[in-house]
Amino acid sequence: MRKILRLIKREYKAAVKTKGFIIGLVLAPIMMSGGIIAFALLKDRVDTTGKRVAIVDRSGVIAKALVQAAENRNTKEIYDQETGKKTKPAYLFQVVEPDEEDPEAQRLELSNRIRGGEFHAFLEIGPEVVHPGADMEASRIAYHAKNPALDDLRRWIGWPINNHLRQVRLADAGVDESAVKDLFVWANVDGLGLASVDEETGGIKGAQRASEVQAIIVPIVMMFLMFLMVMMSVPGLLQSVMEEKTQRIAEVLLGSIKPFEFMMGKVLGGVAVSLTSSAVYIVGGIFVIRYMGFEKYIPYHILPWFFVYMVLAIVMLGAMSATMGSMCSEPKDAQSLTFMTIAPAMICMFVYFPVAKEPMSSFATWVSLFPTCTPFLMLLRQVTPAGIPFWQPWVGLLGILTFTVLFVWAGGRIFRVAILMQGTPPKMSNMIRWAIRG
Amino acid sequence: MNTVELQNITKTFGKHTAVDSLSLAVPEGTVYGFIGPNGSGKTTTLRMIMNILYPDSGLIQIFGEQLQRACTDRIGYMPEERGLYRKMKVRELLRFYGELKSGRKINSEVDLWLERLDLAEWANKKVETLSKGMSQKVQFIATIVARPELIILDEPFTGLDPVNAEAIKDVVLELQDQGATVIFSTHDMNVAEKMCDFIFMIFKGKNVLDGTLASIQDKYGSDTIRIRTDDGVAALQSLKGVEKINDYGQVQELRMAPDCDPQEILAAIMARTRITSFDIVKPSLHEIFLRIAGPEAREVNHAQDTQAYKARI
Repeated sequence: MRKILRLIKREYKAAVKTKGFIIGLVLAPIMMSGGIIAFALLKDRVDTTGKRVAIVDRSGVIAKALVQAAENRNTKEIYDQETGKKTKPAYLFQVVEPDEEDPEAQRLELSNRIRGGEFHAFLEIGPEVVHPGADMEASRIAYHAKNPALDDLRRWIGWPINNHLRQVRLADAGVDESAVKDLFVWANVDGLGLASVDEETGGIKGAQRASEVQAIIVPIVMMFLMFLMVMMSVPGLLQSVMEEKTQRIAEVLLGSIKPFEFMMGKVLGGVAVSLTSSAVYIVGGIFVIRYMGFEKYIPYHILPWFFVYMVLAIVMLGAMSATMGSMCSEPKDAQSLTFMTIAPAMICMFVYFPVAKEPMSSFATWVSLFPTCTPFLMLLRQVTPAGIPFWQPWVGLLGILTFTVLFVWAGGRIFRVAILMQGTPPKMSNMIRWAIRG
Repeated sequence: MNTVELQNITKTFGKHTAVDSLSLAVPEGTVYGFIGPNGSGKTTTLRMIMNILYPDSGLIQIFGEQLQRACTDRIGYMPEERGLYRKMKVRELLRFYGELKSGRKINSEVDLWLERLDLAEWANKKVETLSKGMSQKVQFIATIVARPELIILDEPFTGLDPVNAEAIKDVVLELQDQGATVIFSTHDMNVAEKMCDFIFMIFKGKNVLDGTLASIQDKYGSDTIRIRTDDGVAALQSLKGVEKINDYGQVQELRMAPDCDPQEILAAIMARTRITSFDIVKPSLHEIFLRIAGPEAREVNHAQDTQAYKARI
């Protein structure tokens, strides 16, 4: 144990004293949260140039109302009320008479005017839009633009058109709109948790409103933090062991320590580095979140699980990575094997979204009980407000412990043979043979 | 007492037998030289003594006990290929290796050895900045800094200039005086002749020579004439009773056939040229090495192997 500790100390110092570690400590969370920060910083930076739209209204009832709605918007909504600064683009509609003889030619002509920059888009409203019949084409509202899928203007148009259509339909039905003022009031469905018994008072505790932050963002942040910690240690172990093998440092060390101690010293050194990084991130994160007044979102009860999962995940995957490193004799061997060391974690990450969306589904349960996925997906499920049955994290922990022991045991046997073998490319058959025979 | 004892050690890699029923005893406090051609099994044997490789069969005893991991803490090992962390500073690296082996702080010993081998001013430099010779000295210090009782050096003098080689040699002999047992492998027969109390030669995994230099030379007898003449090797061709001529330029060595009279050879040469020196000597270690493992010996071995094979079928 003394020798393992001495090796851990060397590995730890060698890792944390580098500029790369310090830079990585700062850069990694920036890169991970870069998208969110960039979105927050840039969300108000919109192009305020007015957008001209041509309307070809074959129904004859929409264009006027739409122009009116746009004018109202341009007057009331596009300027900051305090500063008077323009914050959104004006929508400028121009009515174009429909060409009933050759609508295709008109579409091409308007498309070319968009290409030429005269218009942002053109809107074509079908003749039967008020009372749609069997012919879907006749009641269609078509929005043509260079990039219609992500166009805010297209999303805005839907509301004034539908609002006016309802008014026209009520009028056609002879209903006085003023008699049914709440006809157009949208009824929201509030998402709430479950009522419970207050442990202090014994009374019934009202259900809390479920927020997207608690339901999605916090679990995903915790899971990505776990992924980041694993990635900080595991792939590097392969490279590090291979270098020590090819530079013959391994043989010198093996004169003093057992191959198993060598491997565990490397792996636990990686664990120590990740514990340091995660402690910095978590303590720093808690400090910032509390400072911003969002303490209620911090899942304190999950933090012990986070650290337990992290240590086991790094030992399990790190043993595999170090073993593969011991089989490599040149960089190209390492390049091809690096993916295999991160694949168990990557595959789990591919399925995180359906698990986050429905953490209680049978798919989520089974996939999170798979040992290489448990540290990521079980953690994700544990952080969701729904909570999961008490036994599941413990079963997951048992699975990951079993896999960790298996990986370390097999890894140690392969490592012992492979670490002195020069010039033999890594082969699965050798791995299996050495794991069985030792 | 023997510090190292190997009894019928065999080690195979796949179909290749690297070490074949090898037995060996290294007495305490001696310098024991391992010689043998490349690929003959020297490094494999040393690795088995270090418990880095495990023999397929046979028994290894170190310090009178069956080999186990605890024994290796009393052994300093310098492998043939040097292995140093390039990004570590020299002093830090030596402390790491020394502490790993001894389990105690060895700061003063590290500084002492750095001073002794002229590396004190490099103590805070990274290993990657050192020359090859300096790196080798650092590796040597890493091997001995924990004061091991048995020191195993695989090719310790390769790549060293004469000054540094002399410095390492002096330290090795000093450690022997202090009671350490030293095993080293070398391709330099002069070093082996001068430094070793015992010489052991391994060839094709087998023990082919083992003993003091004198005992080994006695086995071969005084069958060599070392001669210097005015006409050099040209005057020595086709002499009756001479089996082989080794030409070293200024000096030639003649290997005599068994039962040959050196006086007859002397007379024959005197009839051809003027002789400036004529000595009857025992064969050098270099010559013995070549007789066992040189091309001539390989041809004989191959012929014997072929005959044996034909006899079997």
